[in-house]
Amino acid sequence: MIHNTHFAQFIPCMSFHASTATITQVAGAVAGTIALNRAAADQTSLITIPITIPSNSVALQGSKLVSIEVDYEIFTAEPTSITWTLNKVTRGIDGAVAVVAAVTKTNTVADAAAKTVDQHKQVITITTPAWIDNDEYYLLEMAIVAGAGGGTEKFLGAVANFTMRA
Amino acid sequence: MINNVHFSQYIPPTDMHYVVGTWSQAAGQVTGTIAKHKTANAETAVVTVPIAIPSNSVALNGCKLASIELDYELMAAGATSVTAVLNKVVRGIEGEVAVVTQPAITQDLVAGVAAATQDQHRLKVTLTTPVWIDNDEEYLCQFSFVCAGVVTVDILGAVANFTFRA
Repeated sequence: MIHNTHFAQFIPCMSFHASTATITQVAGAVAGTIALNRAAADQTSLITIPITIPSNSVALQGSKLVSIEVDYEIFTAEPTSITWTLNKVTRGIDGAVAVVAAVTKTNTVADAAAKTVDQHKQVITITTPAWIDNDEYYLLEMAIVAGAGGGTEKFLGAVANFTMRA
Repeated sequence: MINNVHFSQYIPPTDMHYVVGTWSQAAGQVTGTIAKHKTANAETAVVTVPIAIPSNSVALNGCKLASIELDYELMAAGATSVTAVLNKVVRGIEGEVAVVTQPAITQDLVAGVAAATQDQHRLKVTLTTPVWIDNDEEYLCQFSFVCAGVVTVDILGAVANFTFRA
């Protein structure tokens, strides 16, 4: 049996989902890196990161999600706010909608510090790490209230940290 | 040795390939979910799900693909049909094209009937003979949405079910 608490999965920026935003794929600010660029606009954009790690139909097997790290940069001007929501989505059976539940978590970078013009690594830690069932998946949502003075943001990628057991 | 028959992998809509139709990233119908949304137009749109699970160069090791599930919604009206095809792509060596074959599958929702109603759907594609994936192969599950002019489509995600052995 494998029981390894140190697995991590890089989630590239192309897998991120954006709504209410003008997003383009660009070179990162550091040569050789890649990024998604959000154009400056006075709007509230939702950037959602799908947590693409294995699941398992047997309890206490597969992946136990512990934390998610998000690498991003803010340029030119601070947005009004950035807030983080981790959602567990339980898939619907045929003919039924999915059910969404917010997951309790903490952020290592405080809200005020996480929106400064700078490079950021925000770590979202789940209060009670969870084994992922095959009928579930997790989405980390980053709501950016840009405000009139908001600048651009670049999203470099994310890393999901988890225990793997099989 | 590990031999676990209960593994699954979530594949988000952002990692899929869309041909024909106007597709955009949008919030899902249930708050907190994400989708790729197709606007209404009479056409046959093709959504291809790349089955991004590990392969192995040694026979009977790595992943044995058993089934694929697609979560989607048909809105405003039903579609004419939703039909799945599984393509096994054997990568070409340098200078040669890839070779595509179609393993036998069944889909649990009938293409022009249960799979095409205006509703939330979970369509399961089951391989008649589950396959171990060689490192020179990839699997693409292709869904054709034959739509009249009114129907809109939301693709929520997919899940691949497999055995993991190492």
